[in-house]
Amino acid sequence: MPVECNKGEFVMITEIFTYIDPEPPVPANGGSLEGITVAVQPTMGVRGWPTEAGSVALERYVALEDATVVDRLRREGATIIGSTRISELGFGLVGDTSARAVSEGAVDVALAMDTMGEARIAAASAHLFGYKPSYGIVSRFGLIGLIPSMECFGMIARTPREISSVLSVMAGKDDHDFSMSDEFPDFESFDAVTVENVKLGVVREAMEFLDQDAYRAFRSSLSYLEKAGMSIREVSLDEYDLFRTIHNVIGSVEASSSAGKYDGVRYGHRAQAVKNWNEMYLKSRGEAFGLPVKAYLFQGAYFQFENYEAFDSACRIRSMLVRLMESLHETVDYLILPMKSGNVPASDMKTIDEIYGLCSHALPANVTGVPVIYMPGGLFGRETDPGFQLLAPRLGDARLLAFAAHLFDQAEGGV
Amino acid sequence: MIYRERTHCGQLSNADENREIRLAGWVDAFRDHGEVLFIHLRDRSGVVQVVFSPDASPADVCEKAGQLRNEYCVAVTGRVFRRSHGTENPNIETGGIEVVATELSVLSKADTLPFPISEKAMVVGATVKGVESVAEDLRLQYRYLDLRRPSMQHNFMQRHRIFRCVRDYLDECGFIEVETPILTKSTPEGARDYLVPSRIHEKQFYALPQSPQLFKQLLMVSGFERYYQLARCFRDEDLRPNRQPEFTQLDIETSFIDEEFMYTLLEELTVRMFRIGGVELPRPFLRMTYGESIDTTGSDRPDLRFGLRFIDATDVFCGTSYGIFRQILQRGGCIKGINVKGQSEKLSKNVLQNEYAKQIVLGFGAKGMTWMRVIDGTLESNIVQFFSRKEQQGILERFDAENGDVIIMIADPSYEIVTSALGLLRLHLAERLDLIPRASYSPVWITDFPLFEATEEGITSSHHPFTAPDRTDFDPDNRDDLLALHSRAYDLVVNGEELGGGSIRINSKDVQRRIFQALGLSEREVEEKFGFFIRAFDYGIPPHGGLALGMDRVVSMILGTSSIREVIAFPKNRSAFCPLTQAPSRVAQEQLAELSLLDLGGSEKLLPGSEQEDNPVDALSWVSRIAVDDSERSHIEKAVDDARRLAEIVNDCRGSDEPLFSVVSVVNRTRTEPRARRSSFAENGELFRNAPSVKGDFFKVASILE
Repeated sequence: MPVECNKGEFVMITEIFTYIDPEPPVPANGGSLEGITVAVQPTMGVRGWPTEAGSVALERYVALEDATVVDRLRREGATIIGSTRISELGFGLVGDTSARAVSEGAVDVALAMDTMGEARIAAASAHLFGYKPSYGIVSRFGLIGLIPSMECFGMIARTPREISSVLSVMAGKDDHDFSMSDEFPDFESFDAVTVENVKLGVVREAMEFLDQDAYRAFRSSLSYLEKAGMSIREVSLDEYDLFRTIHNVIGSVEASSSAGKYDGVRYGHRAQAVKNWNEMYLKSRGEAFGLPVKAYLFQGAYFQFENYEAFDSACRIRSMLVRLMESLHETVDYLILPMKSGNVPASDMKTIDEIYGLCSHALPANVTGVPVIYMPGGLFGRETDPGFQLLAPRLGDARLLAFAAHLFDQAEGGV
Repeated sequence: MIYRERTHCGQLSNADENREIRLAGWVDAFRDHGEVLFIHLRDRSGVVQVVFSPDASPADVCEKAGQLRNEYCVAVTGRVFRRSHGTENPNIETGGIEVVATELSVLSKADTLPFPISEKAMVVGATVKGVESVAEDLRLQYRYLDLRRPSMQHNFMQRHRIFRCVRDYLDECGFIEVETPILTKSTPEGARDYLVPSRIHEKQFYALPQSPQLFKQLLMVSGFERYYQLARCFRDEDLRPNRQPEFTQLDIETSFIDEEFMYTLLEELTVRMFRIGGVELPRPFLRMTYGESIDTTGSDRPDLRFGLRFIDATDVFCGTSYGIFRQILQRGGCIKGINVKGQSEKLSKNVLQNEYAKQIVLGFGAKGMTWMRVIDGTLESNIVQFFSRKEQQGILERFDAENGDVIIMIADPSYEIVTSALGLLRLHLAERLDLIPRASYSPVWITDFPLFEATEEGITSSHHPFTAPDRTDFDPDNRDDLLALHSRAYDLVVNGEELGGGSIRINSKDVQRRIFQALGLSEREVEEKFGFFIRAFDYGIPPHGGLALGMDRVVSMILGTSSIREVIAFPKNRSAFCPLTQAPSRVAQEQLAELSLLDLGGSEKLLPGSEQEDNPVDALSWVSRIAVDDSERSHIEKAVDDARRLAEIVNDCRGSDEPLFSVVSVVNRTRTEPRARRSSFAENGELFRNAPSVKGDFFKVASILE
């Protein structure tokens, strides 16, 4: 079915994009993002654009209004080029093309919903920088989400500075999003940082997940950092494996609740030939969700309807994990975590277990809401290096990005 | 706190100035002015303002008061002062005074409320947000809080007073209240029975009473002569907005009386009940036969607060050349109409033709509608040219038409269609044109109902088979004769709503036998169903009759509530479900086994409603309304098994931290705009842009019932 866009024109669809704006609005003059091109995903509202979130549940859905970030980016002169392909409702990475949009030069920055590390993992597959900001500093208004307490607008770009300049525009108070923080990072005061005396902490328990080659490559990235004058120490987080468990419990409950709105009445897919109201729901929703998402929704329904105590327990454990992360950040400036634990391509991640397996090191940042940047492999060593993640305390986004930019400059200069 | 020392909030007045008093109740609202804290303290009697001020209250009391929140249950000691001029609060009856607290004890704390309870603003001119926008199911789930609201308390005080008035009056008249059983025998009366399985008698059932009909008649055989009961009755009926599965009816039966006795008794009682709500009903009540009521209003429960009575115009058109009318009259049909006086400005050609004639009346079952507006002494209409001058003159005279009137007629071969469609149209027009005077009450007795109604198989009783016919010389095998019989039944109707009804009963065994015969019941069926009752006819049954009034409906009408659920303490919702207790609910397999209900009907399958019926995926599929097909099932079963495992892990190491739902700390957010606004997408219709199916201004969905 052809999609009608706001100007009624023919819509070009490519391998990377589900939609390309045939006639983008003329960029505002003099903004801080003049000349910057950005890709969004079809979970992010742009008025008049098809916004199907990669799901039958939202088939033929056309956004009625702009997401707050879209409006903010355009006002600073950025051009939104189009929507990249996305896995169903942004769960996992099957079919995701956000990183390709950057690596193939279609845009400068790709926005990618980061619920369990998607933006960083996509970036890792293309040797790009991936970023997830502190939870609550970027308005989620206009984002079709699945796990509201943990998802963010993630970013993929070639340099940390591009991420920083886009994030500084996207972040800020929005009356449409009640879940936001009252505090925001200050992007003005972190232009110059030094790497001397910076303390980095490597989480020992995360290392145990790596196979030998990955471990060796990871260590060699770290030794570069040591040479640059930073001290690296091992820190311990006994409960490391709980990040995955509680993300699964809380995430599935929130997904089950968020997906409740897909009833096929106001928008989206409606099953044909149904006898009554209940059957309309059952069949429409039965046809609306693909397997991994559907299985995830059943897990959520199980916790909600048959074992609510487990959800409550998971939220208590989240409290503990946030507390433990905060205390680790009191002893070091940044935490270092690996990104991927194996070499399985994202497109093979078809079950919940496989998806969580791929994302397990990305989850701590989503669960505790802290900012995290993925530093691509090859920057500080061999091309085969897997790269690593740097985590800062919540709202430490500006300092983290300035630090990453500094490392990037040094590496560029050094290599 | 000693109850003897307690004073009630709502009873305080200026006369209590300077009294030292003790109060107990709930914190209705509070206002914190920094140093000084005001609360509204509410108990059953009303609301009074209590002040905690550092000048007059001890420091520890002020500090404790700072912790108070809405609906904390507290006891307060203090002194009554007259409020200074200009600070009185007209919103509460005790607004001229306030109590300055010297002691405070928190009897128990309250959590955050699911909806507001306070109904009294603390300052002049302020308004209080009511519960109108709260979902009714939420109110029902927290009914004990909903009932704390003063307006609900008022409803139940009034209900109590109305019930007491019934008891007092019937006692004055020599009636006694006798209770009849709740576990009784299933009888084939109008609605479906609620059944209760018997444990002792395997596979046998009691039924909950739909009314104590047979018992009250047996009490007449027993010689009590004047019986009443405020009886709980049960009907398993389909969903209707203003019905409850159980309801309370005033059940009356008396011996050696006639219809006139019942009218007098009930009119006096009804007048007294309405007087409690401040309504003075006119007496005597109007009386209308069923035939007259149908003929002039199209309904057997006519709303007589306004005119718009039907006028027959069939004879005006005998011999007409207007084809449609001629054909209808040839097929034995009739033409009736109403004169909507002086409304031609509001009922334009467009409204009459495009809304009423083309849409509305079709929904009422009519095939069409004829309308005429009276302009300058002549008729104006899209078809008036088909009527002869004589017919036009005839209409003007018959409908007593004057300039500005609108005459609406419906013609059909079927009398029933003409009267019922015109009856619905009459109500629709009255509502639309605002012709119904508010706060007026028009009680009427409807009498002379047909005893039987025709059905496809034969005939059936209009009321119940014990209702006396108007004559006893009928032939039980002559259908036409039977359908011509009238009953000695009477309904009490107020404002178009049936409040109750009753009849003089049959007290002759021979008449009763012939009625059963007319209904096509064999002697064996009669014996099985009513044997115990008919036997009593052999032992000197007195002439008797009675009536039942739906008390929930009566109270609701007197108090003017939007629904009968507002006058029932713990009602079921519209799906016959109780959100508070979650009834009905599943029961354990063992309970069903004990009742011998597992193998009823011979099916191997477990009965629906027994707990182990579903496998977990089916149960989750149902509650989350997501269908699963066979190819997906094993994958999803595994995911649910995994979830069970995850649950064990997290429950094992939950720890003692408070649950964290968001890493952003919780803060109150209030809308920056003063008023809620409709979305512009709702206003400009864009909301419908993405909808799979739309009809007019609505999302179109599958029907709720099959």
